[in-house]
Amino acid sequence: MPEAARARWVLAVATSVVLVATGCSSGGGGSSSSDTSKTFSYQSSEPQNPLQPANANEVGGGRILQNLFRGLVDYDPSTAKIRMQVADKIDTSDSQTFTVTLKDGWKFHDGTPVHAKNFVDAWNWGATTSNNQINSSWFSDIEGYKDVHPAGGQPTVTTMSGLTVTDDLHFTVKLSNKVSYFEYKLGYIAFSPLPDGFFKDPAGYGQKPVGNGPYQFVSWSHNQEVVTKTFPDYQGVDKPKNGGVVFKMYNTSEAAYADLQSSNLDVIDQVPPSALATYKNDLGNRAIDAPQGAIQNIGFTLYQSDWSSPDKAKVRQGLSMAIDRDTITKTVLQGSRKAASAWVAEGVEGYKEGACGDACKFDPAKAKALITEGGGVPGNKLTITYNADGGHKEWVDAVCNSIRQSTGVDCTGDPKPDFKTARAAITGHQLNGAFRTGWVQDYPLNANFLSDVYRTGAASNDFGYSNPQFDQLAKQADEASSVADTVTGYQKAEAVLPSGMPTIPLWYYRTNSGYSTKVQSVMFDSFGNPAWTQIQVKG
Amino acid sequence: MPDIHDEDSYEPHPKPGVSHLDYAGEQGMAVEQETLVESDVVKREEARSLWGDAWRDLRRRPIFLISAVLILLLVIMAIFPWAFTDADPRKADLVHNYLKRPDWTDFFGAGWFGYDGQGRSIYARVVYGARASITVGICVTAAVTVLGGLAGMIAGYFGGGVDAVISRIIDIFFGIPLLLGALVLLNAFSTRTVWSVVVALGFLGWTQIARVMRGAVLTVKQSDYVVAGRALGAGTGRLMFRHILPNAIAPVIVVATIALGGYIATEATLSFLGIGLQDPTISWGIDISSAQKVIRTAPYVLFFPAAALSVTVLAFIMLGDAVRDALDPKLR
Repeated sequence: MPEAARARWVLAVATSVVLVATGCSSGGGGSSSSDTSKTFSYQSSEPQNPLQPANANEVGGGRILQNLFRGLVDYDPSTAKIRMQVADKIDTSDSQTFTVTLKDGWKFHDGTPVHAKNFVDAWNWGATTSNNQINSSWFSDIEGYKDVHPAGGQPTVTTMSGLTVTDDLHFTVKLSNKVSYFEYKLGYIAFSPLPDGFFKDPAGYGQKPVGNGPYQFVSWSHNQEVVTKTFPDYQGVDKPKNGGVVFKMYNTSEAAYADLQSSNLDVIDQVPPSALATYKNDLGNRAIDAPQGAIQNIGFTLYQSDWSSPDKAKVRQGLSMAIDRDTITKTVLQGSRKAASAWVAEGVEGYKEGACGDACKFDPAKAKALITEGGGVPGNKLTITYNADGGHKEWVDAVCNSIRQSTGVDCTGDPKPDFKTARAAITGHQLNGAFRTGWVQDYPLNANFLSDVYRTGAASNDFGYSNPQFDQLAKQADEASSVADTVTGYQKAEAVLPSGMPTIPLWYYRTNSGYSTKVQSVMFDSFGNPAWTQIQVKG
Repeated sequence: MPDIHDEDSYEPHPKPGVSHLDYAGEQGMAVEQETLVESDVVKREEARSLWGDAWRDLRRRPIFLISAVLILLLVIMAIFPWAFTDADPRKADLVHNYLKRPDWTDFFGAGWFGYDGQGRSIYARVVYGARASITVGICVTAAVTVLGGLAGMIAGYFGGGVDAVISRIIDIFFGIPLLLGALVLLNAFSTRTVWSVVVALGFLGWTQIARVMRGAVLTVKQSDYVVAGRALGAGTGRLMFRHILPNAIAPVIVVATIALGGYIATEATLSFLGIGLQDPTISWGIDISSAQKVIRTAPYVLFFPAAALSVTVLAFIMLGDAVRDALDPKLR
């Protein structure tokens, strides 16, 4: 075996010598040559919804869409700082009215130009109730959102008054309130532009999306793969260094890892728990261990009468204190997570360690007392629903064992076959008790972990949590005059959460991943995504 | 087992259907001579039935004895698991017992087989897992025997249109693969217990028994003693259950015993796939499924439940083989 390896290494050196000699570039990695026309495959899961930018709040669809579309801004994968893409500049004087200037020359994959009206139409369409977009509340900052998305019934208009097209390359956004960090939000996939053709056939475009991103859509074989290829006319700062991404759907992370080892898959999302102890040995320098702006929580069905009464907050605090986070992260999760003490992930702007207070500290005696004080868990039974395709079984079982042995509450896991089924049950409110929930940052700011999850009626408030005090503090933070004030404002809002305990923070994520021998220059950002366009496929 | 023809002496020595096979066994000439003598003298008290013969035959088979002892042990384990271990199979101690290796000095103790990825005693889980497997095996077999036996009996006895309808239904069910059908059915249960698995497997598994039963009934129906019974005015129920059933049941018992092991394996497969039994039920299938995540670092977590499952399935299949040999020597 060493001989075979040496032979290949010699060959690689010989090839690069030839390339250097003939003046060809051998690629950024320098270790071997790369072929910019070759595609690589990435572990994915079947999108929950059609591929419409405002219709994905889960990674299956979101990761595909962020390659097909580019918004006004995105985040630099190495620094997580905002950088301009379609936007040339975004100006504001009062944190309420923003003037957007677009760069000229951007095109959709169908050849039509990306103009101001493509953004305005896309945002209006995504916000309108009748279009049923899951991320429509992302547009709720914009003035006139309530007209297109009333609390009940059908909208009277389909355009938001806050959006005005000045000319092809300029438009203004007026918000109903001051949101100092609005620019941060614009990197989210929901703010992507849509081509004119989309509005004639949204369902058809949902199956065959046409975007303006670095990759264009080729085909979608449901539950198998989504194929994309590099878009030659892409105008962004991150020009692809490969020929495209193939998103292969996997039901288990074990299967994906096995495929990675046999080089049938190039980049994985996360190594499965079964491989955590060994993946660094298995993959050597192809293993990745990077921090991630993501948190794992247990959410509760606060919309059910069983969990809605104020007393039950004590029960949830008790359950939280019954979980031995430190031991579980060290053993079952093999150091791939870090025990959480707040609702905002570590490393995110505005992270405040210990925001959860005593409620996130393991204390079986106090846990038991709090649960009794709060009237106990309904039926003394707790069910934690989770998706069986994400490697969650081990820790859900461990959390349940910890709860059962600390407090006597009969806790069991309830696996749903895949993420899509589990998400559908969660968003359709077809659960009983508790469920696994996670939050991967949309933008690296504490506001994202709080406003979009715990505000009344927020897009990802799957719990039905509603706390006027929290809403009020979040509103004040949004109106702050600077991002720094916003951050402290949201820290105050986070301090309200322990009293109601809508979710139990468990631990912060790390990206434990790896790549095959066929690719190089693979880097993961704090979103837990690879820097797609920078991946090089060996020639 | 009493002589089934004691009361019905229309034919002192019936050789209907399968039961006559008994007399052409390996004892060969000796048996035939014996039967000759028997039928000449008509010593009914000493006449051995199919069952008596089978039992005598079985007692001499080591395979039967081994499997019977194993099954007895497993059944006792299923009923009284606490007699085999003091350890609580659900007690998880991650702090001290995470993936702890087997400790052979801890003979019959909690740590004997080591601890799994949740810090639970593997030995206790193997012992407590017997209940789910044995219950599913026995209950599904009982369900398919009653359901399939009844369907086969009705189809074979009445024949004609009734037979045609039942046979087509059997054909339809026969076309559904057991595992695939069970996957679909079990998905319909929101919480799955041993009983949902029994219902699903019983609903899908009765066709084989029904076919065997129908065939046996068709043969037995032609026998002189049945015709005689009918001529003497015996009712349908009496004919079916006193005359036909006892002579047609042997092949059904053979098929059912062999299938029992298969049902246990199917339950484990379904649980392994996450669609069979669910926590908090303790099942070897579930444990095998979770063990695969740590197979590279802790293979013993997989070994013990897998071995328990293999031994159990093997014991039932060996028992089925032995019973078949005893009841139907021609297939030997």
